[in-house]
Amino acid sequence: MTAEELGTGSETPGREAIGVFICHCGTNIGGVVDCPKVAEIASKFPGVVVARDLKYACSDLGQEEIRKEIKEKGLTRVVVASCSPRLHEFTFRNCVAGAGLNPYFMHMVNIREQCSWVHMKEPEKATEKAVALVKMGVDRARLLTPLSPREVEVEPACLVIGAGIAGIQAALDLGEKGFKTYLVEKEPSIGGHMAMLDKTFPTGDCAICILAPKMVEVARNRNVQILAYSEVVSIDGYVGNFKVKIRKKPRYVNEEKCVGCGVCAEKCPVKVPNEFDLGFGTRKAIYVPFPQAVPLKYTIDRDNCLYFKTGKCQLCAKACVMNAIDHQQQPQEIELTVGTIIVATGFDTYTPIRKGVYKYWEYKNVITGLELERLINAAGPTGGHLVRPSDGQPPKRIAFIQCVGSRNLKLANRYCSRVCCMYAIKNAQIIMEHDPDAEIAIYYNDIRAFGKGFEELYHRVREEYGVEFIRGRPARLVRDPVTENITIRAEETLLAKITEREFDLVVLSVGLIPNPATAPIQKMLGLPVSDDGFLMESHPKLRPVETAIEGVFICGCAQGPKDIPDTVAQAKAAASAAATLMMRGKHIVEPLYASVDESRCVGCGLCTELCAYHAIDLVEKDGQTKAVVTEALCHGCGTCAAGCPQHAISQLQFTDQQITSELSAALSRIKVPGGVQ
Amino acid sequence: MGEAEKVFISGLRENLIEDKVITEADLDPNFAAEIIRYGGKDVMTCLQCGNCTGVCPISLKIEYKTRTTIKYCQFGMKNYTLGTRWVCATCYRCFEHCPADLNPAEVMIALRHIAIREGIIPPFVKTAASNLLRYGLTVRPDAAMLKERQRLGLPTAPSTLPLWESVKKEIATIIEATKYDRLLGISAKEEGA
Repeated sequence: MTAEELGTGSETPGREAIGVFICHCGTNIGGVVDCPKVAEIASKFPGVVVARDLKYACSDLGQEEIRKEIKEKGLTRVVVASCSPRLHEFTFRNCVAGAGLNPYFMHMVNIREQCSWVHMKEPEKATEKAVALVKMGVDRARLLTPLSPREVEVEPACLVIGAGIAGIQAALDLGEKGFKTYLVEKEPSIGGHMAMLDKTFPTGDCAICILAPKMVEVARNRNVQILAYSEVVSIDGYVGNFKVKIRKKPRYVNEEKCVGCGVCAEKCPVKVPNEFDLGFGTRKAIYVPFPQAVPLKYTIDRDNCLYFKTGKCQLCAKACVMNAIDHQQQPQEIELTVGTIIVATGFDTYTPIRKGVYKYWEYKNVITGLELERLINAAGPTGGHLVRPSDGQPPKRIAFIQCVGSRNLKLANRYCSRVCCMYAIKNAQIIMEHDPDAEIAIYYNDIRAFGKGFEELYHRVREEYGVEFIRGRPARLVRDPVTENITIRAEETLLAKITEREFDLVVLSVGLIPNPATAPIQKMLGLPVSDDGFLMESHPKLRPVETAIEGVFICGCAQGPKDIPDTVAQAKAAASAAATLMMRGKHIVEPLYASVDESRCVGCGLCTELCAYHAIDLVEKDGQTKAVVTEALCHGCGTCAAGCPQHAISQLQFTDQQITSELSAALSRIKVPGGVQ
Repeated sequence: MGEAEKVFISGLRENLIEDKVITEADLDPNFAAEIIRYGGKDVMTCLQCGNCTGVCPISLKIEYKTRTTIKYCQFGMKNYTLGTRWVCATCYRCFEHCPADLNPAEVMIALRHIAIREGIIPPFVKTAASNLLRYGLTVRPDAAMLKERQRLGLPTAPSTLPLWESVKKEIATIIEATKYDRLLGISAKEEGA
């Protein structure tokens, strides 16, 4: 589309018939802005044939009035001065379309958020500003061009990135709905953090006992293809038609042949710390991270395997009756086309700082909450018998320190991690169940027991187990060099007394932070990130799993810290949102994209660099390089149009002419008859 | 306050006072705003975690604690906080450790500003100001200090600022210009003469 076609004031004033509707929004606008006066003044603007004030323009009655005026007065453009376009642009577009106008001939002026709400105490100035805003809108409306939305096909397949409980649940739901689903996991097994936990709050279900059946179920679902030990390399395309490249890392074990018998691991002579046990337990160089792993296929850890180090050994290969070991295996590239993507890349736990007050790196008997989970886990390195790292003895006096890495503006994160209160309380209960003589103190700031059954658990650990709650943030930890016991100094704020107490083991209730593995995915997709570093949803309340990128959804801790019930609920929501798109089979793309005038484009490529959504490519056309916009990817942000040195790019509905006309109106003095100064 | 006494059989006595509650009449609703005006900008942000008390070298030695002082301020209990708070060493350790990145020490300093303006002035503050005007030193060496120096073989410490006579007038002028003397109820002209 060329600049001429976009409408540059070619319509003569005589043909214009602009209708202006000033909404009172009850008293939201009407209580501050003198709406009848604004309408009266607007009625005298050139081209305006009708200007009225309406009590509620968005109501059925209000919309009917607008449609009536369009038909009776033969309006060619409509200006609605009311709330934010985010709220009702769609409503009023539909409204004018109902009267036979092109929906993009409606222009909305915001005189609520940008006028009445912010100038509540200055009604006269607010009225004056409303008049100016309406004048800008009228001058712009004159230049609006007809646009029509486009449809794109949606491939009925979904890529789920990350196979913790969020990804597993989302993939399971989509598989059940009948959509082809690819579940990608970078680790050798699916399961994520939940597989590492001992029990889950508030009910005390064993985490792996409730997770393992879901892992098996998702593996068995014929619509779901698990791509474990694989990473997403690149994502191109747009809603409905994403082209994804995945790199399957070599396990050096043939997955088709391996039956998971484990004879190879028995024979393997190399023992290394097991990451899954956070270094407390050991595994072999050929291993599955935990017994319930899915897929139950062994993996050779190349960095530690003797064969890769010395060229000798091959004990595993000799032991394997299935001949599954293949030291020559190569990485595999897989290409997929999917219509939707769900990002469920989860979280990482906060690592206490090196020189911190809580001495995590200096004192052996200071551990994190996740490490404690492994130490009390029946399938963990100690078989569920809690021992302390310094001497392997069972600790009697245990302290939990809350809010480590959370609610801290100085060293770590400002936000509340939402799970630490409850996991500390839950772990306190488990320890007391194992050893009723244990003494447990939880140093807290505020206890957040907000979920279903949480308060009851909080009550139970106090009533039945006598766990002590000390309200105060510990100030100092000192180690006894002989016993390795730790003395905590803290103010018990409820007594306003400084206390010192000795403990055998100190557990830091570390918070959740964004998973570093999310960053490359976030960059590939151009997903926005919230202040806290987690992925940002479209709307914190009303669009909780959608993102700024159409067709890409988020769930679980990738979006923000949350517990398992909330994660599962959100995963199901993301699956449902993705399914809605795929069931329709078509997606409507707003026609507010950038448009390149090829006669002006010199192919410099500046726009391709400016575009935050990877929506512009350079393409050879008749021997010349031209910028081409992928409309389905374009968000209509206008950065390219503003940046183009050739003025070759127009942003539809926001053309230079349209914006300039608004600016001229804003800068011209409007004569206001009868008093408003 | 009408007192009563509960006497138990076989002897325990317990003094009972009149019903005691803190009412709005005891509180100054503008106290926090006043503290903020004098530099204690973080007073209302404090979450009362107690980390400041725990790290405070002074809180170990006195009954009122850093955190409690902040709480009194938040609550508007002006009368309870103005008499003291001079013992804070402003070492800023509380500031260093505060997880909310607040500065409790600045609140303590603000309390002193307010106390002075309310006329609650500890004698040492006046003495220090007067010493500054008379000798150029807020704290002058006393007999014990001089004796200790002698024992250590150190020269006698000067009892005025070096070159005092040459800057005497300047200091008095500055103190008068800033009205610091009037704030404390002394006169720079007289003291500095």
